[in-house]
Formats: sequence, C-alpha cells, structure tokens
Amino acid sequence: MKPNRKKLAALCLAGTALLTLAACGDDDPNNLLQEKEENTRVVTMYSPMEKTNPDAENIARSAAEKTIMMAEEQLDVRLEYITYTAENYQEKTYDDVAIDRIRNHMDDLYLLNPDVIQKMGEENNLADLSGLEATKNLRDVVKTANTVNGKLVAIPQEVVAYGLFINKDIFDDCKLQLPETPEEFLECCRVLKEKGYETPVGANRWWLETFVLAQAYADLYNGGNTASEIEALNNGTAKYSDYMRPGFEFLQKMIDLGYIDAKKAYVSEAIEGEGEDFLAQKTPIVMAYWGAANNETIYGNPSFNLEVIGFPTHLGQMPVMPMTGYGVDVQSEHLEDTLAVLDVILSDEALQVYTETNKVISPSKNVKVDCIPALKPLNDRIEEGVFVLGSNAGMKLEQWGNTCLIVRDLLNGATVDECMEKFDQLQAETLDE
Amino acid sequence: MNNASKKVKKRNGIPLFLSIILVFCVLGTVVFAVSKKISQEMSNSAIQNLSESLDLIQCTIEAILKNEAEFQQMIAHEISKAEDPMAYIRAYEQNQTMVKLSLVLTGETSGLSNTGASFSPKDLDFSSGATVDDLPVSQSYLNDMGTWAYTLKCPVEKAGREIATLYVEYIYDSLDKSLPDGFYDQKAMLYIMDAKTERFVLKPKGMGARTAGHLNLGDFYRANNIRKETLRAEIDACLTNGENILFYHDIREKDSLNYMWSVNDGSVFLVGYVPIEAIQQEGRTVNQNIFIVVAVTLVAFLLCCLLYYLNQRQQAKLRKEREEEREVHNRQLAEALRAAQIANNSKTTFLSNMSHDIRTPMNAVLGFTTLLSMDADNPVKVREYTKKITASGQHLLSLINDILDVSKIESGKVVLTFEPFTLSDLVSSVDAIIQPMAKAKHQTFHVEVSGIQHEYLMGDETRVNQILFNLLSNAVKYTPEGGTIWFRLIGLKQRSSQYEHIRIEVEDTGYGMTPEYLETIFDAFTRAENSTTNKVQGTGLGMAITKNIVELMGGTIEVTSQVDRGSLFRVELEFRIPEDQADQRFWANQGISHILTVSGDQALCQSIRTLMKETGVVVDTAHSIQEVLTLLQTGTADILLVDWTLLHLAGFPAAQALRESLPSTAPLLLLADYDAEGIEGVLSLPNTGSLLKPFFVSALKEKFSEMQAHPRGSDAPEEVDSLEGLHFLAAEDNDINAEILAEILEIEGASCEIVENGKLAVERFQSSSEGEFDAILMDVQMPVMNGHEATRAIRRLSRSDAQTIPILAMTANAFAEDEKAALDAGMDAHVAKPIDVALLKKVIRHYMERKEGTP
Repeated sequence: MKPNRKKLAALCLAGTALLTLAACGDDDPNNLLQEKEENTRVVTMYSPMEKTNPDAENIARSAAEKTIMMAEEQLDVRLEYITYTAENYQEKTYDDVAIDRIRNHMDDLYLLNPDVIQKMGEENNLADLSGLEATKNLRDVVKTANTVNGKLVAIPQEVVAYGLFINKDIFDDCKLQLPETPEEFLECCRVLKEKGYETPVGANRWWLETFVLAQAYADLYNGGNTASEIEALNNGTAKYSDYMRPGFEFLQKMIDLGYIDAKKAYVSEAIEGEGEDFLAQKTPIVMAYWGAANNETIYGNPSFNLEVIGFPTHLGQMPVMPMTGYGVDVQSEHLEDTLAVLDVILSDEALQVYTETNKVISPSKNVKVDCIPALKPLNDRIEEGVFVLGSNAGMKLEQWGNTCLIVRDLLNGATVDECMEKFDQLQAETLDE
Repeated sequence: MNNASKKVKKRNGIPLFLSIILVFCVLGTVVFAVSKKISQEMSNSAIQNLSESLDLIQCTIEAILKNEAEFQQMIAHEISKAEDPMAYIRAYEQNQTMVKLSLVLTGETSGLSNTGASFSPKDLDFSSGATVDDLPVSQSYLNDMGTWAYTLKCPVEKAGREIATLYVEYIYDSLDKSLPDGFYDQKAMLYIMDAKTERFVLKPKGMGARTAGHLNLGDFYRANNIRKETLRAEIDACLTNGENILFYHDIREKDSLNYMWSVNDGSVFLVGYVPIEAIQQEGRTVNQNIFIVVAVTLVAFLLCCLLYYLNQRQQAKLRKEREEEREVHNRQLAEALRAAQIANNSKTTFLSNMSHDIRTPMNAVLGFTTLLSMDADNPVKVREYTKKITASGQHLLSLINDILDVSKIESGKVVLTFEPFTLSDLVSSVDAIIQPMAKAKHQTFHVEVSGIQHEYLMGDETRVNQILFNLLSNAVKYTPEGGTIWFRLIGLKQRSSQYEHIRIEVEDTGYGMTPEYLETIFDAFTRAENSTTNKVQGTGLGMAITKNIVELMGGTIEVTSQVDRGSLFRVELEFRIPEDQADQRFWANQGISHILTVSGDQALCQSIRTLMKETGVVVDTAHSIQEVLTLLQTGTADILLVDWTLLHLAGFPAAQALRESLPSTAPLLLLADYDAEGIEGVLSLPNTGSLLKPFFVSALKEKFSEMQAHPRGSDAPEEVDSLEGLHFLAAEDNDINAEILAEILEIEGASCEIVENGKLAVERFQSSSEGEFDAILMDVQMPVMNGHEATRAIRRLSRSDAQTIPILAMTANAFAEDEKAALDAGMDAHVAKPIDVALLKKVIRHYMERKEGTP
C-alpha cells in the first residue's frame, strides 16, 4: 500500500513538473497585436429612447434587444442604434426627425409610427417587405394596416392597442361602474370632479386622438361594410369630417366641462404630462398603450388596482389599435443584411421571446401569451374582434398623424367646425392627388 | 490533578492563540498596505490613461474642426474669385462632411443654398461666441437630415471688402468616422455635448452600452444619480470656463471615472464615464492574484494549524487511551491479586480443613493398625479393628477422589462422553446404592418417576450418576435417622423433539441449611459448619463438583432449604433422544402385543402406558384383582403386571388365581419396592417374577428375556461372584499392590501370575498356552511398557484368544477419561484402585460369563 502511495505521489510530481515546463515553453508571437476582425457588417437602426427615466431598463427595448441579439448571432452582423426623442414640444418630434432621416437615407432600419409609415410608404422611401419569410405568419389586420400602394412597408413586433387606464380603487370608492358609452364616461367624470378630482382625465398632446378615432370608426370597423366605407372615403363620396365630428364634440365637451386640462395637454409629451398625477392617484383616468401596463417604467407597478378598458363608444368599450412597425430604407446601403435582420426578429421564434418578455399581442397568428389581469378587459374585446384601427394605410387620408395634429388644434382653441374643415381640406388634397 | 493540567493547557493555549491573531493582524496590515498602494497607483494610472485617451479624441475633433474651417476659408476665397458666386454655390455637391453650403450676399437678409433652396441665417444662433480658427460656430441644431449639425460662418472678401458670408453646415455624425472604433472595449460611454444648450449631439457608435441613451446633461445627471450640489457646481464652473473635469462617481453600481472634456475652447464637451474595471483590467487581475495568494497562504496556514491540531488531538487521544489501558490493566492486576489472595486464603483454609480431615481417618488407620498388632491374637478385636480401618480407608479414598475431581473440573480437563444409557439403569444403580445407606439410618427412601417420555437417552451416565450420588448421599448424610428422602425423576415438556427434558428432585427432611450457607453451597472448599454437621465427615467439594457437572451438561441446579425442615435440590437437564430407540421390534419378535397392568396407583398405570407407547404393545389397565380376573375370563394378556402392593393385600390365593387365569407362557410380573415383604412366596409360582419400581421398559425387557432364558419359572437363585479356580495374569509394577492382589485372589480361591510391566505381560501371554489364563489384570502406569500399549499389543497378537481374553484395567487413574482411554486401548473393564474386592469379583465374573457365552 505504502509503496503504491509513493509511486502515485512521484507520478503526480512528475506530471506537475511537466505541465510547468510546458507552460513556460510557450512561444510569444513577434507581433503583439491580436488580429482584429475587420469589415464587421453593421445595420443602423433609428428608434426612440426612453426619456422618463433614462437609467431604467426599458422592457420594450429589452425585449427587442433579445430578438436583435438572436439576429446578430444568426447573421453575424451588428446592429447600431441611433436614438432620438424630442426634449420638449417645441423641438422636432421623433416622427419629424424620422421623416428627415428616411428622406436622407441616414439609416437602414426604422421603428416608425403609423402616420410616418403611410407617408414614407407613399413617397416610396420604404422597401417592400412582403417577400420576407416572416410575413407568412402575420395576422391579416397587421398586413392590411401596413400595406401602402400594394406594398407591405412595415411590420411590427407587437400589435399596439390603446385603452383607458382606470384607477379602479377610485372608481370603487366613488361607486362608479366602468363606462361603456360616451354618456356614461361623461357621467363618471362628473362624479369624479364632484368628488374632488379636479381633472378626471390626464392627457398629453399625442394620445387624445384615441377618443376621437374610437368613436369615429367604431361602426366602420365593426359594422360589416368596412371595405366599401373606406372606398367611399377614398373617392370622396363620404366625408372624414362626418365620422370625426362626434369624437371632437365629445372632446370639446370634456374640455368645456374641465374634465381635460387642454392647455396642459397641448404642451405635454406622452406620459410626462399626466403619468405622475395618475400614479399619485390625483388623476383617475389616463390613456396609454398596452405595453405601458407591463412596463415598470410607466404604469407597470401602480400602488392601486389598475384596470385597462376600451374607449367609450355607442358600441361599448373599444380598443384602438394603430400599427407601429419596422420599416426599411429602400436605398439602404445594407439592404440585404437589414432584410435578413428583419426576417429573424419577426420570426415566430423571436416573436415568442418578444411577446413573452413584453406580455403583448403578437402580430404573428402563431404566437400567443397570457396577458396580465389588468389588461383582461381590453384583451377580451380584441379577442372578440371588436376594435378600431388607429391607422389604416388603405385610407388615402392618413389617420393617426393627421387626427393627432387636428386634436392639437382643438386643444389650442380651434372650434370643432374649424377642425372639421381641416379634415375636409385634407380629404380634398388626397382627392387631388 | 486533572484541573491543574487543564489550567496549564489553557495558559499554553492563550499565548498561542494571541500569536496566531498577531500573525494574522500583521499579515492583514501588510496585505492592506500593499493593496492600498497598488490601488492608488492604479487610480493614478487610470486617470492618466483616460486623460490621454480624451486628449487624443479632443485633438482629433479639434483637428477636424480646424480642417473644416480652413477648407471653408479656402472655398470662401474661391467664391471671392468666382464671377458668379451664387452659381458657384449651386454647383457645389453635398458631401458627408459639408452637407449644406449657403451664401448670403452682404447687405441681404437671405441667400441661397447649394440645394437650391433659399437660406436665411436668422435660424442660426452664433451668440455663444465660439469660434473655430476664428470662424464663428453656431449652436448645434437638428438639420433637415434629422441629424445634429453646426454651421461655421466665413466672410467672403474681395479686394479687402466683404462681399458675402459663406455658411457651411457640418454634421456631428461625420466626426464618428474619425473617432476610435470602441472605447475601452465598449464598456465606457462617450457623448459629444453642445456646451451652450447642454444637448447631447452625438453618441458615436461603439462608445458604450447601446441600450443607454441620454438627451442632455440633465438626463445624464438624473440617470447616473449625480446629485451632489458641490460637484454639480464645480462641473458647471468647468463647463462655463471650458475646463476639463474628471471625478469618481458610481454608475450603475460600478465605480467609474466620469469626465467632461473641453473641445474647441469649450464649445463642445466630451461627456461620459469609464468603469474603473474597464481601465484597470490588469489591476483587477493583480488584485485577484493578490487575493488568491493571500487566500492560498491563509488556507495553507489554517491547514497547517488544523494538521497540528489534529496531530495533537491524536497524540492526546493515544495518551489517554494508553492511560486508560494502563488503568484497566492495573485494576485487573489488583483484582487478580485480590482474587488470588482470596483463593489462597480459601485454599489455606481448605488445606487446614483437609489436613484435619485427612489426618483424622489416617490417624484411625494408623491407630487401629497399632491396636491390631497388639491384639492380633484376639479375632473379635481384629475383625473390629479391620472393619474400622476399612471404613477410615474408604473415607480417605473419597476425600482424595473429590479433591482430584475438583482440581480436574477447575482446570477444565473434564470431558463429557455421550453414550446411550437407560434411565432404568440409572435409577436402579442409584437405588441399589442409596437404599442400603438409607436403610442403615432407618430412613425412608422414595423413588418416583413421572412424565418420562423416553427412557433410552444419550449422555454421560457416569457423570449423571455422580450428580445423583452426590445429592442423594448428602441427603442421607444430612438427614437424621428416621427421616425421609425423595428421589424424583420428572419428565418436563420437551423444548425440542430431539431432547428429553428431565427434572431431578432430591428432597429430604434433614437438617436444612441457613440462607447464608445456601449462598456459598456451590462454592468449592466450603462446608456447613455447625455442631450437627461437624459430626458428618466430608470434603465440602461435592456440591461444587455437582454444580460444575450440571453446568457442563448445559443444565441448571437450584436449592431451597429451611433449617431443621429439610432441603430440596432441583436439577434440570436435557438429554438427546437417540434416533434409534432400542430394539423397537423386540416385542413384536417375542409375540408380545398385549400387556395387562393391575395397580391401584393411577400414576403408575399412566407411566407404564406412556413408556410402552413407542413399543407398539397395547397396555390395558385394571385397578383391582377382581377386575383383572374378570378381564382374564373373557380375554388374555401376553404379560400380566401386578402391583405388589395390591396383590400383597389380596394374599397368596389371589396370586394363584391370577397365575392360573393366565396362559402358562405368559409371565406374571410383580411390581414391587426394593424391600417388598412376603414376595418370595408368590415368586415361587411358575413363570412368575418381580420387577423393581419404578417401572421401566428396559427393565421389563431384561426381566422378560431372563425369564424366557429360564422358562421354568421362578427367579434363579442369585449367582455368587466366586473366583474359585480361576487363573489370572496380573501386570503390576508395585510390589505391595501386587502382593495385595495376589492375597485377595488367593483368598477367593483363584491364583495369579504377576509380571512387572506391560512388556513382560505381553511376552508371558504370548508364551502361555490357550486357556491358561482366564483373564488379564492390567495396571496402567508401568515402566517399560504401560498397560494401554500392552493391551494393544496383546490384542494384535494372532492367537485366537488374543481378542477374547478379558483384560481388566486395575489402576489408580480413576477418572472417567482414564476409563475411556482404557476401553479405547482394547480393555474390557476398568476397576479403580484401591481394589474393591466385591466390585472386582463382580466385574471378573461378568466378563468370565461373557467369555464363556462367546462361541
């Protein structure tokens, strides 16, 4: 036994000595610089940036980042982010900058709002994405909303649905039912105001249009004559102003009754103007997109019972779904790589990751995840197929951006008639084109 | 003692512990100092490193700005020479650096751009006063390309007169291409900030985490939690004065070096941070290595301490074990010494007793011998003296036997022999010895047997006999005249079908024993000492021997006793039942199928039935003479067993009637006690015999065989053990013994030829004619050739009588083992010295008869 141990010890020592010698005998190369891989393929992407809390991890960004990392690994490319968000309402908006950058072909890939998608699509600045493998799994509504002149010019990673974020605790305290119709909504606001909530509805300069769009197109999208009604609007036999008027009058009434602070809303960026008060339970109602309920940086973890419902219409609560999406510069220097990246980040595999991380509605009909309880009322309506599109590239008059601007006019003191005239004027321009 | 050593240990342990703590403190201090120094040096190095990097970037950007300004001046010069400056502008094509050229003629508020669009300088803000190579530079703004840009303003002079102003727009993105690709492995963050507006106008690609983004300095402060007022004031001062500032601040919980680096006299700043670990990659490794070295050293040190501690503990454990062992050893030695002393005392007492006990009969022998020589002429006295000499000699012999037995048992040399025996023989031999002894003391001796299932058993009959004899002889000894002694043999429930479980009870109405004495009764060398028992002579070894034998047989012995009321000894033993119960077919072969038993004693009848069960013989019982006579009228029996007690009362005519009722071939057997009175008359009837109580099948069988051998009926008169006319060859080396033997044989009418050793005996037998000697009496311990060898030699002889001539061992080697050795050597029997003439005669006769019966 003992001699065996000695032998073992001797062997170990000899082994150690050999390893040590081997380690010392490594030859150093003459050129001390390690070879660097040149010509890394780069795709630049223009996207907005989280402004409210610049240091916070942006969940939406994190989800997108995961899919982008998948693309980088699969395709051996690197994505560079170019980010911009206006510092205040006087500065160029994200959309303005996006349009400038697209027109000057500054970047390869853009994350765009619906109005920009339609505008750039019509200017033929965006590449046709219908050839991508990923488009096969897209929901039809997604394709419809993003098709301009027969070309699919943008595809989203999530279907954005806007709704009313309700502080259910306050509603319960005031013994209020969740409103279904505009009248019920006004009644809720009246009670809330009486209860001391000075401005029952928190608003910003971007998202008040959702009230208008919901009331304007509730019948159009849920009445069974969608195509013919759109056609009538496109050829001028029907007027956008007729659709829009009830919503604008409703907003006007809200402003007149002091349920909305129009002046504050006019100069407020999204979330910045109303978010703080909503979280502090000073404002019981705000409007926001689906992801805001999941997002810890916005309304993700409120100290009260949150419920998200559709906008009030005579057909009941109505979610509004504008289609944001990724568009590709048609003259992109790296068009091939960019399309390949898009194919990866829009694949079912990537969308599954995105949707699970962000708990949103996926554009792919193959990907579904459970939503959080607060979003259930909104989700139920969407699952029933009851919603209004916030943007529709099939309508010659761009909706999302134009309505937003005209609502701003209303906030700035224009009358409902003036606003309607603006719609008529814009419609006439489209007919001229 | 123990406490003292513990205190010393404690006192030794404290300095050791303090020393270890001191070593650790010194080591810790050194390591801390070294680490601190290294950290300081690395910090300085990091600051220098970052400063150099930022200087390099600053110089690069300033060089670009300067180049841009120089180039713009050159274009201005070219424009001044052009005939149509506006045409020159329009002809200029946009490139990635100078994205827009605009010319405003002096005196006009707007001009023209190279894009063809009109240009108004009022949208540009030159109020900051910043210049590049003396050209005013505007504040940063978002241009039509959606990217941050700045414009340099350059006068166009012709012949010393300013004819126009050239505005050229540059975009910050163009700087990106001239900056390093990656900044501290993309772990650092770098922005270019417009000093006036504090807007971040460029985040060069590859400069920091791509997910992070800030709009302006306020964002940067908020995101990175830079709230300290003094620090912010200091930063503001540096920004205002166009000075550089470097400061430590944690960014995302990482120690980082933050910077604001002035470019172009503070018109723009490089803003950002570098995590220290990104600058000090080698520092981290150094620290890790130091930590590893320290940790390994500590572990090694602790390991050494642990090994030392384990070693000490092992040593202490060994010491303790050795001490304990020594203590145990000492205790054992002390106990052994005490035991030896007790044994010695006990033996001294015993020797003293023995001295007395041996001297007493010896004194009698010698005294009566003296008297004998004096009264040799008086036959009456001679007989009386010789009788007393014999008695004393017998007592002396029993003393010696007991002493030798104890010595043998105690030395563990006793070996039990397992051979078949019958309870019948056991009981009859005991009965034969004890009955006369009891009778001599006018005591009543009862033998009772009950519940025995098997009477043929395996065991050491001699030793069982010894037990019974010791117990019963004691009972006789310690029971006064007229007392009663019971010897009971009780069959208990079998624990195993292969073993007969027997209880032996010996009860008497004797003196009894005190409780104190009962405690030591089975110890060797003790004897009840009181006025009564002192009259009884004994070695005091009997009970010790008995207990040892019982335990050797795996049995138990217990005793209960009351003074003056008597004692009860109870021995329980188990004997193996031999697989072949003796001669089961005997009765069938003899034509016996039916036995009729007559007795008033139910237990006796039951015992007979039980014992006869395995023989296959039908046993009927009757309880009166009349009943049996009635039974015999209608049927018959092959054997009629009649309890003598019953028949004795009925009288001789009843016996006659019974005899006549039976076929003449059927034996009439009387079951009688040892001293049955009036039985002789009945035994005179034909084919009538007696059997001693208690009943045993073997005894019945023996009696039946005997009666069959002598069919005329009544018991043959007992043959006298006479040696008349016999001639023996005796091997005996001791002259006296030889003489005694010769004399005894002569008195018995026999003759003998004595040889001095075994060899001579063999030779003499060899030379004798066949039949010359009737038997050989062989001493065992002899010179030249001992008795065993001689016997073997004789048995090996080719003579026809070599195998058959009885050879009897006559030796002072009186133990059972000696007897066994003698029989193994080929001898026929073993007679212990001193010679018991009656026994000798009986044995010789037995073997003579056997020899005669041999064909």
